[in-house]
Amino acid sequence: MLDETKSGMPCAEFDVLLTEALDNALKGERRERFEQHRLTCAACGTLFAEASSGLALLNELEEVAPPQSLVHNILAATSEAAQKSAKVAPQDSVWGRLGRQTKAVFAPVLTPRFGMSMGMAFFSITLVLNMAQIRIKDLTPHNLSHTFYSSENKFMKYYENMRLVYEIESRVRDLRNASEESEREREEQNRHREKNNNQTQEQNENNVPEQRHEYSRGLEAQLLALSGNEWNLAMQRRAI
Amino acid sequence: MDEAQVVAQLVRRCAQGEAAAWEDIVRRFHRRIYNICYRFAGSPDDAQDLTQEVFIKVYRSIGSFDGAQASFNTWVTTVTRNLLVDHFRKTRNERATDSIDAAQGADEDGPTLADRLAADGTENPQRHVESRERREMVHGALQQISPDLREAVILRDLQDMDYREIAHVLKVPEGTVKSRINRGRAELARLLQRTYRQAL
Repeated sequence: MLDETKSGMPCAEFDVLLTEALDNALKGERRERFEQHRLTCAACGTLFAEASSGLALLNELEEVAPPQSLVHNILAATSEAAQKSAKVAPQDSVWGRLGRQTKAVFAPVLTPRFGMSMGMAFFSITLVLNMAQIRIKDLTPHNLSHTFYSSENKFMKYYENMRLVYEIESRVRDLRNASEESEREREEQNRHREKNNNQTQEQNENNVPEQRHEYSRGLEAQLLALSGNEWNLAMQRRAI
Repeated sequence: MDEAQVVAQLVRRCAQGEAAAWEDIVRRFHRRIYNICYRFAGSPDDAQDLTQEVFIKVYRSIGSFDGAQASFNTWVTTVTRNLLVDHFRKTRNERATDSIDAAQGADEDGPTLADRLAADGTENPQRHVESRERREMVHGALQQISPDLREAVILRDLQDMDYREIAHVLKVPEGTVKSRINRGRAELARLLQRTYRQAL
């Protein structure tokens, strides 16, 4: 809208002249150009209508009466502030300046949110200390060192006990593993032996029919030989 | 002695620690400051608190006022505006997105209908009620427009400050002030038009 130029006037100029026009401060040739632009530019025409309507509405607003007590309250507040500053003034030498500087440094920390977090942290720590049955007055250097050494002692004992338990446990495990292995070996040996026995038996059983076969073949040969001899004898007898 | 000279003398006396001068300043300016705060913040309670804060700030820093740079009126308005902007930033999260309807009942501390009727008994009471309702709607709509536009419109149309003074208070060029005023007025009209349409 503001880049357009209509009726020889850019919209930006119309925007600036609009306040003067609504104040009835725009006269002569400028007023004519302004009116021409208003009639030819739709956006500026709408702006004029809305702005004049808004101005009319705002003119209806009247000044409101402040509460009766306001002046009294202001005077009371300012006199209080004056008293405070009067009290603060003598400290303004070194401590006052130091306090202000410290305040400025800690200003980001001194917020309600940070205070709330600190409160929660304190509450948690107190709760933990209570649960652990630790009293604040016990937290002297002597007590702390005593607590430290006794805790260390307890921890060392616990550590030694645990080590012993683990060592025994590992030994027992080794023994159990060793006995299981020896059993397994024995079983394997037995199984092997049985296997061997079975194999020899099978071999023996397989050899018997062959021997029988050979034997029968020998008998047949003998029988054949015998029958041959008998044949020969019979032939000889016949010849005789 | 004109008004500006009287005020300048009061300020000088006040800076020297004269309590009566300070009281005179408070009585002269409290109404104006209260109205700026009320139109900007929207609620009478906030306006009262903010007005007190403005005067405490003015009281503390009145020694730093330089009449050569700006009038006391402009200076006090600048202090008020800065405080209102701070207040707006601080309460941004707390502020609910109030509708225009919600803000309608805010004008509690303003002149009552009875006051207005007493002031002009010849007018029709029905018209008074309508006029009051319309004013409340305009006040509610004013809270809906952006703070940049709102402050420019308040200073120009409700406080009758000239563009140069407003530019000094807002620390922006005069052209920007005029543009903000135009946009603020147009935005207000659009908002109220929408509200009327919804109501119908």
